[in-house]
Amino acid sequence: MGLRITKRNHCPLWQKIVFYAAAIVIALLIGAVILISIGVNPLDYYYQMFTMGTVGNRIGYKTFMNYLNDFVPLALTAVALSLAFKMKFWNIGGEGQFIMGAIGAATVAFQVGPYTPMWITLILMCLAAMLLAGLYGLLAAWLKVKFNTNETLMTLMLNYVALYILTFIADTKADWNFFLQEQSTRPVFKDFSEFAAFPAIPTGGKFELNICVILTLIIGALVYIYLKYTKHGYEIGVIGDSANTARYAGMKVNRIVLRTVFFSAALIGLAAAFKVGTTGVLSTTITNDVGWTGIIVAWLAQLSTPIIFVASALISILGCGCTEANASFGQVSADFADILQGAILFLVLVADFFTRFAITRTKKGGKVNG
Amino acid sequence: MKKIIAMLLACMMLMCFVSCGGETPSDNPSGVPADDAKADFKVGAIYINSKNDTAGYTFAHHNGITTAMDQLGLNADTQLFIVDEVPEDKEQVLAAVDTLVGKDVDIIFGISFGYIDALEEAAAEYPDVIFSHATGYKSNETNFNNYFGRAYQARYLSGIAAGLKTLETGNNNVGYVAAYGTEYAETASGINGFALGVQAVNPEAKVFVKKLGNWADEVNESAFATELIDSFDCGVIAQHCDSAQPQIAAEKAGKFGCGYNSDMTGDAPKAHLTAAIWNWDVYYSTAMQAAMDCGTADKFVATMGSSAYYGGLKENFVDVSPLSENCAPNTDTAIAAVRELIVSGEWDVFSGVKLSIAADGTVTKADADLVDNNGNVIVAAGGASVEDSVITGTMNYFVAGVTEA
Repeated sequence: MGLRITKRNHCPLWQKIVFYAAAIVIALLIGAVILISIGVNPLDYYYQMFTMGTVGNRIGYKTFMNYLNDFVPLALTAVALSLAFKMKFWNIGGEGQFIMGAIGAATVAFQVGPYTPMWITLILMCLAAMLLAGLYGLLAAWLKVKFNTNETLMTLMLNYVALYILTFIADTKADWNFFLQEQSTRPVFKDFSEFAAFPAIPTGGKFELNICVILTLIIGALVYIYLKYTKHGYEIGVIGDSANTARYAGMKVNRIVLRTVFFSAALIGLAAAFKVGTTGVLSTTITNDVGWTGIIVAWLAQLSTPIIFVASALISILGCGCTEANASFGQVSADFADILQGAILFLVLVADFFTRFAITRTKKGGKVNG
Repeated sequence: MKKIIAMLLACMMLMCFVSCGGETPSDNPSGVPADDAKADFKVGAIYINSKNDTAGYTFAHHNGITTAMDQLGLNADTQLFIVDEVPEDKEQVLAAVDTLVGKDVDIIFGISFGYIDALEEAAAEYPDVIFSHATGYKSNETNFNNYFGRAYQARYLSGIAAGLKTLETGNNNVGYVAAYGTEYAETASGINGFALGVQAVNPEAKVFVKKLGNWADEVNESAFATELIDSFDCGVIAQHCDSAQPQIAAEKAGKFGCGYNSDMTGDAPKAHLTAAIWNWDVYYSTAMQAAMDCGTADKFVATMGSSAYYGGLKENFVDVSPLSENCAPNTDTAIAAVRELIVSGEWDVFSGVKLSIAADGTVTKADADLVDNNGNVIVAAGGASVEDSVITGTMNYFVAGVTEA
């Protein structure tokens, strides 16, 4: 008797749901074992985590606003990355593109903000961020189509170029450096929220809905339509399946790659504009790792745009919830969220495997069963 | 399309649920007896590194907070709330503040300089919570103060240990590995305090400073110490940087050294003399006591007496670690005598009175100009100590005898 892996022809939806739910439950159980081993009751911890500490919290609305501020850049970045991933263009450069977008948006806020109405400033910030981030992504795509360089390495390394440009700006006090406060002896980023802050929609209570949440949902819907119902979307899918087939069908593959990567990176730049337009200040940790986490989210969602939103919402709950819970449980440090996130990703990928393949027993010399 | 509708519905449900949570009224009893006040008192803290660190800056503060809570009879397991690994990013600091305010803490300590603007904003947003910022300079008249200490006094004492060592070894060159130089008053005042301590014992001594330009750079902390030893023939290595690497490098080369932040004798048992250290618990217990006594948050600064806490040797906020066996004879006598002068308020480091310390540890005072290394007189002979605001804010020079290497 032995074990054999066979391909499934079809996996019913209920079975998929069971597999993915099991993956998340097992990941939480692994987390529970870790929590028990350091003397924390996992039920108490998970209760605080999933409610993000909002129950009985006098500023629960603030917690939820902070949660949405985490959710927006993550969801938008993951959607943007999925565009490139669909084409099998491995854009690992979300961090760098986000940083370039943030620098572009902040530059506009400082240079244009004092002279123009705020809504024009905000639009110009978005455009500048999209252009700068898009060009930064385009650089890697151009190198790939021109010299056949490896886009994974290129985009990865360009992350560090962008990060060190930002760090240079953050550390260098000089006359040209309008990003920093003039009066502080130590280098500290200057606030530009008086020139540029995205408006919040009042909801009657203390909770205010940042307009970027609505914009992100709309953009998500547009990207969904773009991928599903337009010629461009079809071309992206064909190139993802086989670039040679696309070429044979007469598609201008290089042009489509350049266009799509620019679009992908530009959307990441837009996410950065939303972020700095909300925080009103730069920082060397402005990305909040969305360039990395976005990759995880895109894969968790298997590049499906609607599911990316669900996965972003869940991963953001994990991040915010862990911070809330950690504050109450002295033993648990900030790294626990990363452990859980890693476990969930790994196990969802395992579940993904089981939706496509089945492990079957084989009798000695017998036929494959199923 | 179905999926999108389902998603929107889910989002709306989540929002309803959260807004319900938001409307829960807070229980904020006023005029409770003192014992209840203690039992209800909650402390919040925002750390730059992990609360589980076992060495370094965050560890020193965490240790200070938990020690202070023990002293005051507070339970750190149930009354302390921490958000750790918070970078110097305004949005993330404000989110951490929201988390802690949501736990109904009475006071929030932020330990990193870069939290400064976020804490200023938070103090205005939450007037019923006290905010206290380490190493910063911003404050208000009610619920927001800052705290730092006279590290230069401890530096002076460790300089005496180094100076006596130079006399013993006959090598007048002293090295100093510094994260930053004259651009920050914090590093400049530390270097100057140390150098004046060395010179009080050995007027011939020279202090060579090598600047790292950043914090927590272990490779260069070691390399620069080695360079000071090899190229500048330094026999004692002092430091203003994160790790014990300079002390370890001194030990490897058979030299001596003075550490910083924690007792580094364990790291370099054959080299380390004594380290300038902080007793953060001194401030934390003072601040927590004031927070419990003041009744409402807006009276905190008034209860503390000032919006900037600046403790020194007198308050035991800074000190030197126990002298190791590597110290020259009479180091303890000399340090004890100078400590007495500083604690009693009779004398301070940056004044127009110079101490002379003999090899047997006896201390004599004499009027002398305090001169920077360009020959400018900072304080004329017999003059009073420079202002605290200079020491914390504008001291951008090195005293005579200090050279940037």
